[in-house]
Amino acid sequence: MRRPLAVAGLLLVAAARSPAARAQTPAEQLTRAVQTYQSLEYDRAAAGFRAALARTDAGGLNDSERVQGLVYLAATELFAGRRDSAVVAFERLLVFDPRYRIDQLTFPPEVTGLFQQVRLRTRAAAVAAPQLTRLVNPGDRLSLWVYAAAFHPLDVVVTRPDGAPLRTLYQGGVGDSLQIPWDGRGADGQQVTAGRYLVRVDSRGADGRVIRTVELPLDVARVPRDTLALPPPLPDSAFKPESSPGGSGVGPLLTGLGGALAVIALPPVISAKAPGMGARFVVAGALGIAGAVGFPLQRRPHPLPENMAANQAMRLAWERQADSVRAENASRRRNVELVIRAGVSRPARSP
Amino acid sequence: MTARAAALALAGFLAIRPVDAQAQARLSAEALLATARFRGTTLVGEEALTGVLAGGRGRFALGACALEVQYVQGRLSSDSGNIPSRDYVDGSVFLAVRAAPWLELKAGPHLRAYVAPGGTERWALWEGRAHLEAPIIPGTLRAHVEGWASLVSGVNANPGAAGARGGEVGMALHVAQSPLLVRLAYTVDQEAMRSSVRTEVLEAVVLSIGIGGQ
Repeated sequence: MRRPLAVAGLLLVAAARSPAARAQTPAEQLTRAVQTYQSLEYDRAAAGFRAALARTDAGGLNDSERVQGLVYLAATELFAGRRDSAVVAFERLLVFDPRYRIDQLTFPPEVTGLFQQVRLRTRAAAVAAPQLTRLVNPGDRLSLWVYAAAFHPLDVVVTRPDGAPLRTLYQGGVGDSLQIPWDGRGADGQQVTAGRYLVRVDSRGADGRVIRTVELPLDVARVPRDTLALPPPLPDSAFKPESSPGGSGVGPLLTGLGGALAVIALPPVISAKAPGMGARFVVAGALGIAGAVGFPLQRRPHPLPENMAANQAMRLAWERQADSVRAENASRRRNVELVIRAGVSRPARSP
Repeated sequence: MTARAAALALAGFLAIRPVDAQAQARLSAEALLATARFRGTTLVGEEALTGVLAGGRGRFALGACALEVQYVQGRLSSDSGNIPSRDYVDGSVFLAVRAAPWLELKAGPHLRAYVAPGGTERWALWEGRAHLEAPIIPGTLRAHVEGWASLVSGVNANPGAAGARGGEVGMALHVAQSPLLVRLAYTVDQEAMRSSVRTEVLEAVVLSIGIGGQ
């Protein structure tokens, strides 16, 4: 009696240490289930796929493995004669990934045919956006892509986290995919404040009721834009002198007096027979007086209109440049840069 | 120096300083009035005449070059009345080139006639002139000195012309922002016949008023 008990104990220990009995990860379970499916052991394979798909936490299958598990589960159920279960598995697959299209080289026509039948009546959608988008300029937009498993009407709405709608971006049918831009503004035209938002896509049934919803989380941050520096002030050296420095006045004085003397001395220079008419002293006097008047006038600074105009044009050009910078800075202060980080769309509600 | 040589010299100078295609044309016209005094000296005596002359002057300038035309006429009479009066007619055309801001060179024909009851004395001169100017009040008032000499001279009286020379000193007022131009000048010239047979000196104080660019 003791001997059989000892043998049974050894067998239990050995069984516990065997690879099959060790705890398998969902990915390993999926691989083994696919092998079982390929061995045509459909009941064992279906159990394996269900076990692999059961975990939905962080330790479960990743997205591509989950898609693979669902399609193989559907094929397995179909070959096991459980068509309804196969339909349910395909529906789960299309809700999880509306963009999925079955590989016709991997699966036989009865499987792909059933998939197409299920796809055409499954109203499911997904929404995606670039992980990071910066809205800097007025024309910048966040590109939202909406994918549908089959044509159906849907609503695309930006909402607050509590579900309050902020702006309806689209209402209508989508057959395959649709790009929808969002400028980061609510229905009131104002840029949204920083915070978390959702892009909600409601798929509607034939009766118009919402039958399925997916949500894409958006984290919006407002980043003040750098303002531009004003152009450097014009240095004094850039300006031309606006008045000429006053001269000594000697030039006009000598010119006037010299002219007067020349008038007096000219007749004998030209001709010894010229007595010189008395009226020439009028000219000589006028020249002398002009020289005396020109003496103080030349000592005063004289405005230089050309230089004044050139300096004024330079000041106006600087002001125009500065005004342009100020206007740009005011625009930048009004419209801060929006930094939008998008998550992954997840089903929010199912019928 | 012959007239041909003078003309060649002026043409050469013009070739060195071609007219600027972008230069702005300036035109001025003046009316002038002069009080003149004439003294003719011969081997045997002299005669003195005075009178008032009137005329006009026009100038067309393009860049550094200018064309200057002047015409003056009047009547010269003896103060004592024992010498017959003469009509005085004087005309000239000068081509001018501004060699420097303060210097202008001119050349051209100058004709003068004294019309007396006994006949008309005609002088035909080719003259070269140098015109210097300097500002007294910049942009408004300029003084000038002009001297000239005949390059070729001729007279319709024996024994023929020996030459002529002259000078002018004056000033020109150009009111800023206005086309008004006023000149006041004293001018004197002398024409001499060969062998000092006769020497004629004409002095004048000229006042001219005109319009036009500087």
